[in-house]
Amino acid sequence: MPSIPELIRQRWQTWVNRRIPRDDRRHLDRRSIFILPTGAGAVFGLLLVIMLLTGINYQNSLIYLLTFLLGALLVAAMHQTHNNLSGLDVAMLKPGEGFAGDTIVFPVRLQGAHEAPAIDLSHGDGAVTTLSLAGQDLVDGSIAVPSHERGFLLPDRVRVETRFPFGLLVAWSWLRPATAAIVYPRPITPPELPDVADNGEQVEAERSRQGQDQVELRPWREGDISARVNWKRYSRNGDMVVADWQAEQGSPQWLDFDGFPGVDHELRLSYLTALVLERYQARDTWGLRLPGLILEPDQGEHHRGECLRALATWRKQPPLTEKGA
Amino acid sequence: MNRHSSMLPSAALGWLLSGFLILLLPQWDRLPVWLLVCCLLLAAWRWLAQQGRVRLPGRWLKLAVMGSLIAGYIATVSGHFSVDTAASFFVLAVGLKWLETRTSRDFFVLFFILVYLAAVNFLFRQDIGWTLVTLAGVVVLLVSLQLLHTPNTLRNPARGLWRLGGMMLKTLPVVLALFVFFPRMAPLWSVPLVSGEARTGLSDSITPGDISSLAQSSERVFRVSFGGEMPAHRERYWRGLILDRFDGHTWSQWQEAPPARLGRVDLDAGIIDLAPDQYDVLMEASGQRWVYALDNSRAVSANVSEVPGELFRLQRPADTSVRYRMALEEADRGPDSLLPSERRRYLQLPPQGNDRSRELARQLADTTPSDLAFTRAVLERFRQQPYFYTLRPPTMPDDPVDTLLFEAKRGFCAHYASATAFLLRSAGIPARIVAGYQGGSAGADEAYLIVRQYDAHAWVEAWIDGRGWLRLDPTAAIAPDRIESGLREAVAEEGSFLQEDWTSPQRYGDVAVVQWLSLQMDRINYNWQRWVVGYQGQSQLDLMSRLPGNIGLKELGYLTAGLVGLALLVAALVTALRHGRGRSDDPVDALMARWVRALQGPDEELPAGMTPGQLATATAQRAPSAARLAQAFARDLNNHYYGPGSRRWKSSRRRPPEYRLMQRRLAALRRELRRSTRNRRTAKSRKGAFRRLARSRNPS
Repeated sequence: MPSIPELIRQRWQTWVNRRIPRDDRRHLDRRSIFILPTGAGAVFGLLLVIMLLTGINYQNSLIYLLTFLLGALLVAAMHQTHNNLSGLDVAMLKPGEGFAGDTIVFPVRLQGAHEAPAIDLSHGDGAVTTLSLAGQDLVDGSIAVPSHERGFLLPDRVRVETRFPFGLLVAWSWLRPATAAIVYPRPITPPELPDVADNGEQVEAERSRQGQDQVELRPWREGDISARVNWKRYSRNGDMVVADWQAEQGSPQWLDFDGFPGVDHELRLSYLTALVLERYQARDTWGLRLPGLILEPDQGEHHRGECLRALATWRKQPPLTEKGA
Repeated sequence: MNRHSSMLPSAALGWLLSGFLILLLPQWDRLPVWLLVCCLLLAAWRWLAQQGRVRLPGRWLKLAVMGSLIAGYIATVSGHFSVDTAASFFVLAVGLKWLETRTSRDFFVLFFILVYLAAVNFLFRQDIGWTLVTLAGVVVLLVSLQLLHTPNTLRNPARGLWRLGGMMLKTLPVVLALFVFFPRMAPLWSVPLVSGEARTGLSDSITPGDISSLAQSSERVFRVSFGGEMPAHRERYWRGLILDRFDGHTWSQWQEAPPARLGRVDLDAGIIDLAPDQYDVLMEASGQRWVYALDNSRAVSANVSEVPGELFRLQRPADTSVRYRMALEEADRGPDSLLPSERRRYLQLPPQGNDRSRELARQLADTTPSDLAFTRAVLERFRQQPYFYTLRPPTMPDDPVDTLLFEAKRGFCAHYASATAFLLRSAGIPARIVAGYQGGSAGADEAYLIVRQYDAHAWVEAWIDGRGWLRLDPTAAIAPDRIESGLREAVAEEGSFLQEDWTSPQRYGDVAVVQWLSLQMDRINYNWQRWVVGYQGQSQLDLMSRLPGNIGLKELGYLTAGLVGLALLVAALVTALRHGRGRSDDPVDALMARWVRALQGPDEELPAGMTPGQLATATAQRAPSAARLAQAFARDLNNHYYGPGSRRWKSSRRRPPEYRLMQRRLAALRRELRRSTRNRRTAKSRKGAFRRLARSRNPS
């Protein structure tokens, strides 16, 4: 059973979510800006009370005056802090992409008709990005969101806050981005074959035993990853030879989900990711076969992106089913 | 707050340090020198550490510094605890905190302490100059706080000052209204303020043989406004206290003053217009309970009360400036006779000493028929024999009265008053010395009177049966100038007027510009003290009584609350209006909204917050013929919002050609959408008709 603070928090969350629809861009206005004194602001309020007491007890007009001056200033600061946020447009630009475990960069653009210094953007407990608008202008920044698994990554809420000018008050609002970043599976190099042959017969035996076409050994070239180098041979005669994984797959061109029988699905996707990267680097041609999805053999940057996205989103639902909630 | 903890920005720290130094200024003569020096050193240490020249102390060094400074403080204070010493400790604490200012939390702590230090300054200094200095210090503190919260690129003190000025200007009406209307309650509890600090001023004893230093001080004692005509210089005898006990050297008060009980702070004198017979005295802090009044006065304000001897006393020592109000009365004759105990008291003399004087009194008494004649004879003797008024009398260690009367023949008021009282008492006439001030100089435009320490004076009152207490001023007989026009003229030949006080403007009274400037300054300060500093409970009630309605403290409370509420409301309205304008700033927003409306039929809702691209897809599904158009329009929108040169257009400005294009495209889009909706509807109805037809053909 959830505790009472938890219930209150949930209620508050739903209320905020209703007030702030999911959208990549938001015009911050007074309907959605919240403002509260910071800890320092609360202490300052206490200080004003103490000063007022001092003024009363010593019948000191000047202390009264100073107290009223600072009190009024606190209220003015409330407006100033609020105005610093309000009227701003916050927009999430096309989010970056990356591999699971990486920090994904979500570019943000801040735009406003007035000067707005010290706007902090943050997500969760992550790092804070501070942006400042000088006059009628726009400024770009980014929020880094750590990713844990492949698929769609969408920060639930991005907090936009400011403590300007005195740090006695904090005004904040949330942006609930609608466009998810795509996180590719973490590339994991498939394990070496138990013993890559160094003579033809063994290769043949290997191939027949594992039901695979062939292991192509070719000279090392720029861009090959070191795990792929046949170090055994290198230590023997100094040839840098690389085991080409085309052989492991059903055909030289296809990277196949079914090529790793018995392996966990997510791990297979990671293997395939590693292979896609390798093919791309080797400027090879490749196609990708996933259950329910086939990408015809092709090559180049665009194809790489398509394959990675396909691997990332395979059997994943886009997160925006509750759009507009 | 932790996230800013790396290092404090130098600009912010520099301004905070400057604020500290400015706030120390008003206390410079109150604090012990070593404390001031230590504070400066500690602040300098922090600044050098910021520059990277030195390191902030480690834990042990810090403890050592703290320990030694606090020990030094305790040694200096040596057990006298009052607000005064507490304020010194406060300053010391601020100084020590500089060594520990690393994070923005420390910064805030210092900011708060320094703001309170500003309030403490007001306890000790209330004249307009120091008020401005203290307020300037607070402004500097607020700028430093802004600098702390501004990112590097925008960190600009001038901008911060400008912003702060704007905020203060906007809130000024509210601040002033609060100042006037906030109910001035009585103090909630008693508060000690200043310990028995040595101040220049009259003391409660006079030793004529000693050199008086008061004549060398031009410090202000009090200022007086008269409701009617200002009395002539020679009539202005300000009685303060009575010295009636003589031990051969020193005149002192017979009764020890009762120990001053710490009461609540005195009420003020109110601001009702002065009646013609009234006068209003603004006395500087003296640390004493006695106040000064002309002959035949009665107390009007509640903060002074009369004590025996026609003197007036405050409820508690004047540790800040005090305003009180008196009224002049017709001279009454007072009691017809002295009580035996009083007669004894006013005839008391030491059993021996000053024999020649006693002899002289006897001779004079023999030759004069009455007490009154005796007093005249004494004054006549002073007038005719070569007695001199001087601020540089010789010292008179033994038999001072004899020395003065028969040998030196040089002295100032205290000497002659002492000698006169001695002679009178020797002849059996009750007499007492009155200490106070005489004269005073006019302020700017002769609007009020300024009495300074060098106006201090002592004279004699003698009891004449049937006439009561009679004022006798031997100084008037010796140096009429002193009584007619003041000390400056009385010692003009001697040149001893304020000879040790080089900085006093009064010393250069003959330089017209200096005199004029100092009087104008004094007038500003006088009005400041009367109307702003002195605006207390009674003044407030007096002011409110001029307004319609019966406004008491409670009503004032309501009024204040209402005022604050109103101010907040106005501020909120202004913000709301500004926002109302700001929302429709960008005309493109309106275009996009129109697109969404066109897509949203009465029967279908679009999820909120679709991107232009999503809208284009939705449009293409609805009206395939408009697909290209929709994409183009979405591209326009995206360019507008996110494009490289994207700027928000102000509705007020002339719309750029791109906007026209977008308008045309949207119009075409909506046409297409309408057409397709119409088509769909007709298609649906056709389908329905076909179905009906089929059913009718197939009767099963």
